[in-house]
Amino acid sequence: MIQMFHVTKAFGNDPPTLMDINLDIQKGEFVFLTGPSGAGKTTLLKLVFLAERATRGQVLVSGRNVARLRESGIPYLRRNIGVVFQDFKLLPNRSVAENVGFALDVIGTPRELVRQKALKILKRVGLEHKANVLPPKLSGGEQQRVVIARALVNDPAILLADEPTGNLDPALTVEIMDLLCDVNARGTTVVVATHDASLIERYHKRTLRLERGTLVSEERGAKAALLMVQG
Amino acid sequence: MIAAKASYFARTALGGMWRDPFVHVIAIASLAIALVGFGLARIAGAQIDALVSALGGEVELTVYLKDGTPAEEVKKLEAALAQRTGGVARTVSPAEALGRLSEQLGPQGQALTELGANPLPWSVEVTLPPQLRDLASLQALAQTLRALTFVEAVDYGADALERLAALSKGLKLASVVAFAIVFLTTIVVVSATLQLAIYSRREEIEIQKLVGATNRFVRAPFLLEGMVQGLLSAVLATLALWALVTWAAPRAAGMLGFLALPKGSQLMSTRLMVELLLLGLAMGLSGSVVAVRRFLRV
Repeated sequence: MIQMFHVTKAFGNDPPTLMDINLDIQKGEFVFLTGPSGAGKTTLLKLVFLAERATRGQVLVSGRNVARLRESGIPYLRRNIGVVFQDFKLLPNRSVAENVGFALDVIGTPRELVRQKALKILKRVGLEHKANVLPPKLSGGEQQRVVIARALVNDPAILLADEPTGNLDPALTVEIMDLLCDVNARGTTVVVATHDASLIERYHKRTLRLERGTLVSEERGAKAALLMVQG
Repeated sequence: MIAAKASYFARTALGGMWRDPFVHVIAIASLAIALVGFGLARIAGAQIDALVSALGGEVELTVYLKDGTPAEEVKKLEAALAQRTGGVARTVSPAEALGRLSEQLGPQGQALTELGANPLPWSVEVTLPPQLRDLASLQALAQTLRALTFVEAVDYGADALERLAALSKGLKLASVVAFAIVFLTTIVVVSATLQLAIYSRREEIEIQKLVGATNRFVRAPFLLEGMVQGLLSAVLATLALWALVTWAAPRAAGMLGFLALPKGSQLMSTRLMVELLLLGLAMGLSGSVVAVRRFLRV
């Protein structure tokens, strides 16, 4: 589903943020992307949804070489990738349902259908009763669930989550992670960037570890968590 | 899908204007002022044209014939002129011309009786139809007539007509230049207001892009906003012009009664209203295109 071959990303004359990355994430997989702050996790995710372009190497998403994708093709790629941000990126003056429906508005979905689909996905994340509430009135966990709902409303094949539990307490973290596992169980490929070792240990998923822009290990569960703590 | 997108653009554009009314009111007022200026220039231009046409109607073309032109040639020329111009041609004999001159000179006209022979030539006076009363047509006709064998001279009050036409042209040029300046200034104002709108919606634009909006989709509501501004300003300008001419026309007619100005309602033609509407839309759209190109980095 996501493949990278000898991918390097550098910003200007600075040392590369990512160096010679090779990876292969299969369809329907759940993968943790871990490493210390500044290791290049966010940059790697950005290369997938083309918020950044690789300096060298090839990035394949659903078998398509996105490095060669023209600017005009980027929106169509993004419609197949849901993205969850640590800082939520919700519009404070739009209701929860409107924020979720935003992803449907941009592809020209009729208004009634937007509302209908938004409510359906909000029910799935347990927030149907908050559909008409403005985001600032929600808790951090609820806001993150709204972001996940927005990312899923288009039925994307891939869900990328950048530190989705970074601002949440342990109880809410589990709630969000269970939701992401549920999404994965329904067939969506999920990539979660995190530096939380407890999550990696608890969920026992394939874990790719980045250090200073280089992919240094690939483990699962406790061993991956241990490597992280040692690192 | 197209209807859904159009509905989304309309809601976003109107919602944006509703949320941030102050800057949009400034843009609409600026556009409306420019359009009122344009409307007044058009009305004034139309009145000057009418004036030129009315004065042109009093100018007759006179063809003076050479001495010794046979009478049958004079008659032929009279008929040919009437046929060619579609106007009324009339032959004036030397005796009739002398009589007129004597009448014009009054008591001093007696001196003419001292002349041994009548020095005045045969001539043909032509009253031209309205379509031939403009300077260019008169000049062309005069040139053709001067080339004829029996024609000595052609007179059509060239000086007066040329001055009037130059005045009309100068006024039109001045109004075009003035309007161009106002037009450009207004586009700057409209684009500046939309720049503020783009800035205040930068978060929304960023999220739109992240969830797969095309550049056209992001830009469309801002272009629509500019067009709505143009449309509203055109309506406002039409109402303001209507009020202005209704108030001003009777007063101007009182002061310049000899010019027989039309009523206020006649000054506001349907054509002018359509022009205001199209121009308003064009100015609003131009301002938004400038703003989107310069400030919307998508």
